[in-house]
Amino acid sequence: MKNSGQAHDQVSVVAVEELRQAIRDEYAAVARSPEQGFHFHTGRPLAGMLGYDATWLDGIPEDTLSSFAGTGNPFRMGALLPGEHVVDVGCGAGLDSLIAAQMVGAEGHVIGVDMTPAMLAIARASASETASANVTFHEGYAEALPVVDGWADVVISNGVLNLVPDKAAALAEMARVLRPGGRLQIGDILVQRPVPESAKRKIDLWTG
Amino acid sequence: MAAGFVGFEITWRADVFTGAPQASSAANFGTLGMNFRARKPHTQQEWLAAVSDSSDTSFCPVTPAQTEI
Repeated sequence: MKNSGQAHDQVSVVAVEELRQAIRDEYAAVARSPEQGFHFHTGRPLAGMLGYDATWLDGIPEDTLSSFAGTGNPFRMGALLPGEHVVDVGCGAGLDSLIAAQMVGAEGHVIGVDMTPAMLAIARASASETASANVTFHEGYAEALPVVDGWADVVISNGVLNLVPDKAAALAEMARVLRPGGRLQIGDILVQRPVPESAKRKIDLWTG
Repeated sequence: MAAGFVGFEITWRADVFTGAPQASSAANFGTLGMNFRARKPHTQQEWLAAVSDSSDTSFCPVTPAQTEI
């Protein structure tokens, strides 16, 4: 992470709503047909690649597991504790939310937020199937989280920030919903070579 | 109190795109998967101390127009 004005610059170089719709379309396709193959890995093989313990995946409904498309592992940076409040930003089909719900237990609570209805439908069905009463899912954007100030002990996210046009706004929202001392545990991507301005304007490069 | 995080640390990075079913632009930019963590300061004093310590590169202000992943 570095300090620059580039995040806001990115808002101006792409059409935000066009980008969001392209991302919704891409991840709705993952939700509908995860077996079709994408430019990223998905499902149980990806979870293994990212170091998810097999025990975390026990009991996770197949629709949620097969639609998993993370780029890291938020749980490798520290355990979630019983009773903690967790926000999962860009929860997708709910894999990380459901794992977090198991970790925080009945006294804890997880709020998953995503902008893709097709993914949220799977997440809600899986929460119902697993009788996970301590997790709720809400439609929303990373830049405007539907969570009150200071509610969360931990914010997790996985493969989402790189898709958010206004990263500064998303990080500010994460800071807002965290209590003082709250933790950020994020899986995402980094680039080792500069991305030209011309490339940033190509929405198909954001999604692929 | 300015928004921001302290204790920023990248804890893992790896190629998570090679071998994906479809060709990706990721390789063109040396794209890796990564894990990172940080913490919201407990107090404004902790935040100001992190910002004022020029040797501390683990703080991340997220006030407008300052931060990029």
